[in-house]
Amino acid sequence: MLTDDRIYSADKFYSMEAEVFTAYLISSSLREREKKLYNKAMAHLDLKLSNFDKEILKRMMKSKTNMATIDAGLALIKPTSLVRRKLFTMLAILEASPNYTSYFIPQEYNFSYYFKLAFTSFRAVFRAVVGFFLVKKIERKCI
Amino acid sequence: MHLNFDYLVVGSGATGAIAAKTLVDKGVQVALLDIGEEDKQYKDLIPNKDFLSIRKQDARQHRYFLGDQFEGIPWESTRVGSQLTPPRSFLTRFSDVLFPFDSESFQPLESAAKGGLGGGWGLGSYVFSKLELEAVGLSDYEMNASYEEVISYIGVSGIYDDGGKYGLGSNKKIQPAMKLDVNHQKILKAYQKNKSKLNKNDIYVGQSVLALLTEDKSNRKAVQYRDMGFWSDTNKSAYRSWMTIDELNKKSNFIYYKNCLVTKFEEFDEGVRVFVKRTDTNEIQVYTCKKLILSPGVLGTARIVSRSFDYKKERLPIICNPYSYMPCINRRQLGKNVDQYQTSFAQLVMYLDEQKNNFDVGVAALFSYRSLLLFKLIKETPLNFADARIIMQFLQSSFTIAGIHHPEKGSENKFVSLVKDTASYTGDKLVGQYILSDSELIRNINREKKFKSALISLGCYPMKTIQTPAGGSIHYGGTLPFSEKNELFSVLKNGKLGGTKNVYVADGSGFKYLPAKGVTLTLMANAHRVAKNVLKNE
Repeated sequence: MLTDDRIYSADKFYSMEAEVFTAYLISSSLREREKKLYNKAMAHLDLKLSNFDKEILKRMMKSKTNMATIDAGLALIKPTSLVRRKLFTMLAILEASPNYTSYFIPQEYNFSYYFKLAFTSFRAVFRAVVGFFLVKKIERKCI
Repeated sequence: MHLNFDYLVVGSGATGAIAAKTLVDKGVQVALLDIGEEDKQYKDLIPNKDFLSIRKQDARQHRYFLGDQFEGIPWESTRVGSQLTPPRSFLTRFSDVLFPFDSESFQPLESAAKGGLGGGWGLGSYVFSKLELEAVGLSDYEMNASYEEVISYIGVSGIYDDGGKYGLGSNKKIQPAMKLDVNHQKILKAYQKNKSKLNKNDIYVGQSVLALLTEDKSNRKAVQYRDMGFWSDTNKSAYRSWMTIDELNKKSNFIYYKNCLVTKFEEFDEGVRVFVKRTDTNEIQVYTCKKLILSPGVLGTARIVSRSFDYKKERLPIICNPYSYMPCINRRQLGKNVDQYQTSFAQLVMYLDEQKNNFDVGVAALFSYRSLLLFKLIKETPLNFADARIIMQFLQSSFTIAGIHHPEKGSENKFVSLVKDTASYTGDKLVGQYILSDSELIRNINREKKFKSALISLGCYPMKTIQTPAGGSIHYGGTLPFSEKNELFSVLKNGKLGGTKNVYVADGSGFKYLPAKGVTLTLMANAHRVAKNVLKNE
């Protein structure tokens, strides 16, 4: 059973995770309400991370670029990784919040948006290629 | 404890509710035994508003969209029932315990809910053709009268367009078709433009025929296009079997018993003894009745009948429509906004009538994707989540899901057996196997290819085909096939269980063939027909 201090530190860690994940997923800051919901979800899911998952998470938390590249690599190599499950849970919480609805509902797009879309698609492929090798490298290190 | 009744109906799903109603309307005394699970957690949380307004305004939406235990955030691969949203998850609550089933190749879904699996019904209401009814084992003369009665009672909307002959038959008591969203208007327009080419390839497209009101009907309101069909039954515009049970509960000649799991029956001179295990107290009760009408669903009936006949038959045949779906992109909708007001249900249906005789027709129902939330789609892409969100948000308005059902017959590789299992709640469990032959697989793949090419002609580009596991269509039949002979483990044409005097089967256990068209309306019409026969044989 966790002591009060350890619950506090777990919450603090999850809150930090939630903030970094949100900055990565939708480039926005996170409100207190969604942070609490993420803490609740993590406490409920009680995911047991392997050494590999822990190493991956540590590297991802360092920067947004790392996060995107490693996530892209995981999507190809280990799409069911527990770290991706954490990210996915955050994504679902953001979508089910009125504060972030505009990031998820369909919109009428103008022509310039097509450039953003083309850039995003190109970036996604680039991240996937780099991420693939990066995750393989981390995997080798952890074995 | 001994309870005595004239007519006992088992199960409150699509068939049990209609059988009970048919009997109650004739003034006889009826009791219905049911487990009766209900949703008390989410029902009152969901606002009576449209999907977009809820998304923008309701701070509590995470409770019903994601679930209090986050059960609405699926992580495992596609499984049968994964389409059920948290407010619908009560439909399968306790199923694992009450209806144990063990199989590597077959994953059927069963329900202990009040109203049964009908609570999650997609509302597709098809009248089977004469040839289809013959293959099922039913007479079109008897069934047509029952179709009309049931359609007029539950309220069905549709239109006599190119799909009308496949879905509506000759029924006239229908409400106008629902209005199409802009996505489907564009698909229908493309069909009309390419109609002669598509018809040459045996493809016909029409508006869906649904158990959805487009005009008010007694205390039920016309659909308000709120796109919340997967989440709530506000205004009762979509027909659900629990509505019939609630209506019957107001009548003096009807009694509803919940927490009752019927385990078996035995006949005696004047009637039938029915053994019940109470799910709240685990107490065993015995009810007696003059006539017993079994309608707990095909697998539930298989369990009760196998136990009642001392597990005499090792294997019971079973059939279940193979089901796959194709997420498609409608190019005409790329980057466009969508209607605020639309429905979540299938809006158009494609029929593939290769023999041009309304038999063995393949069916693809077309849906717009919005109210099941974007994050579930993002998970399916092989990309990082942040970029996938941007891309999928753009594509979302163009998403069209084609749900494909294949017609199905039985074979020796499709069966269930009830075997002893002392560890289970009822002391036994169903085991089964469902394996399609190579020729059946090829037939289905070819049919899917034809649908794919038709979708492309309509401007919808399929991204992939996702096969659901056997059991995924949630349409089951054929465990006690219709027979002319009065033999055990079969159902006579009038609905009487072979080898019995006073036991009837009102669900799909007798169906020897399952057309690809949704089976629910036919199940209800058959239950109505069987209930009438029960009264005739009094």
